[in-house]
Amino acid sequence: MAIDLPASNAARLVTTRLKAQIQPAAANRVVRPDGMLQTLTGQGGVITGIGLGSVAGAWTGDHVEPGISLGHPDPAANHAVRLLSCVGNPVTVLDGPKAGARGVVFGKHGAVLAMFAPDDLALLAPGEWVAIEANGVGLSLDAIPDLVCHSCSPALFERMIEPTENGQLRIKVAAILPAIAAAAGIGMPSSMFNMDLHTSSAPVAELARQLRFGDLVAVMDQDHRFGRQYRPGWAMVGVVSHGTAIGGGHGLGLMTLLTAPADRLLLEISDTARLDTLLTLPWGAAS
Amino acid sequence: MTALRDNRAELVSAAVAGRVAPARIHAEAMASDDDGRIRLLPGTGGIALGVHAGDRAANWLADHLVPGASIEDADGTPAAAGPLHLLSCIGNRVRDAAGRGIGIVAGKRGGLAPGFWAPQLVGVEISDAVAARLNPEDRIIVETVGRGLKLLDHPEITLANLSPRLLDALPLTQANGALACAVCAIVPPEAAGAGLGQDSWVGDLEITDERCLAGSVADLHFGDMVAFADIDSNVSRFYRPGMASIGIVSHGPGHAPGHGIGVTILLTGPAERLIASIGQGGMGATLREWSESLLE
Repeated sequence: MAIDLPASNAARLVTTRLKAQIQPAAANRVVRPDGMLQTLTGQGGVITGIGLGSVAGAWTGDHVEPGISLGHPDPAANHAVRLLSCVGNPVTVLDGPKAGARGVVFGKHGAVLAMFAPDDLALLAPGEWVAIEANGVGLSLDAIPDLVCHSCSPALFERMIEPTENGQLRIKVAAILPAIAAAAGIGMPSSMFNMDLHTSSAPVAELARQLRFGDLVAVMDQDHRFGRQYRPGWAMVGVVSHGTAIGGGHGLGLMTLLTAPADRLLLEISDTARLDTLLTLPWGAAS
Repeated sequence: MTALRDNRAELVSAAVAGRVAPARIHAEAMASDDDGRIRLLPGTGGIALGVHAGDRAANWLADHLVPGASIEDADGTPAAAGPLHLLSCIGNRVRDAAGRGIGIVAGKRGGLAPGFWAPQLVGVEISDAVAARLNPEDRIIVETVGRGLKLLDHPEITLANLSPRLLDALPLTQANGALACAVCAIVPPEAAGAGLGQDSWVGDLEITDERCLAGSVADLHFGDMVAFADIDSNVSRFYRPGMASIGIVSHGPGHAPGHGIGVTILLTGPAERLIASIGQGGMGATLREWSESLLE
């Protein structure tokens, strides 16, 4: 017997068109835990050759953001871009050689991260502008008021959750990590930036090795309702957004999508818990 | 105990000028507590009158309260940790523009994301007599010394934010090649919150949960020594099984999720070489006494 999705407030959520600009690339100078200074490709810019579904730890960089990184030069407008953009929202290029190309928000770091088809990424450049159809802030379920969504579009939410007979929500994830995975990003707003994972030590190192950009990942004993904090009995589910980082306390970036008491969720390991299988990508097949 | 040998003879002393930080409200920072309620409380910057090293950290209705005067680099943004922040060590003497000793560096606050997330402050223990005449934005000078300090017989232990003077006063003992330190609480790595992933010389690492491996978080006092199990602070603060980090309580509870009492790191090393044990780990009275003695 099919069970209906629990009623959400998606129909009442406002869609706002935001204008955002492709951010410049960064070269990050970072001291590693062993004391060595290394300079590597950092966040920002247009990263080609890495798509949703690419193994996130396979690249030499520091906080590399695949696809394009979006922000706004006006701090208040940038705040709106960071807060209102949600994973799954459509993005359209407004100028430059690829004006009209369509992509999708797949994560957040400091910037909002969007993926496009490889042919479009090949000609996108920092300084060009896009429009984001932002929709999703405030998303909630009537039946489960202590489930809180952040940066999660209704389109993604409806595909990542599956109701069960006992009222739990089944969510397929690529990995379930212990609380100790939570690193830099604790204490920061859960609807902006993301949470780095402690991927240098067991057991997280092994669990994280095969993670891909766009994978849904759960971290246990994390309450991200009003910020990010350790709280036994809670869980968060996020999306792998940025690549590895070499400084201690930094690693793969996981952007919060939802948080709830752990017993509200039925987390299942799956190899299809990825944005490129959950979302309808505007360029068709997975990149 | 065999004397601890160190390299203090080769350390450079540098006078670094800065100012008393004004009290600030950072609109970009969250003001909500663990349950989502908005709470706007004092504690950031300025001078906390009548709050001293040795006082119970949770005694006041405040947010990230730093005892005494909060000082900062006068140049640059409050989000950046400048030379005053990066060179100041706990136990350093602070003087005013007229050259009079006014207080002793007693802690640091910050390190959530230095460079874009304010503030980065240094806490100074001051007597009530000094507090009565000190004002926000007054020029101050920190007589910095301690950067580069090393223990010659304990190469696996890294020191940070630690003046030679405070090193001499810490509750340390040597046995079988290891260094033991008395602390008031031992905190599990899951309870390490805001401050992870950042330079150990910037700000502090916050205790986000009251569950301790030993001792008590609720009873901590400003200036108490605290150990984090499985946290490495050699370069930056992060989870690394088998390492230990020991620091000093530098600010009171923060109420936002992932925030709490702040601990500025002083020592880090492998847990078998740096042993934390519950004992007389309170340094607040010492810091206050040093500050009071500047009036004589």
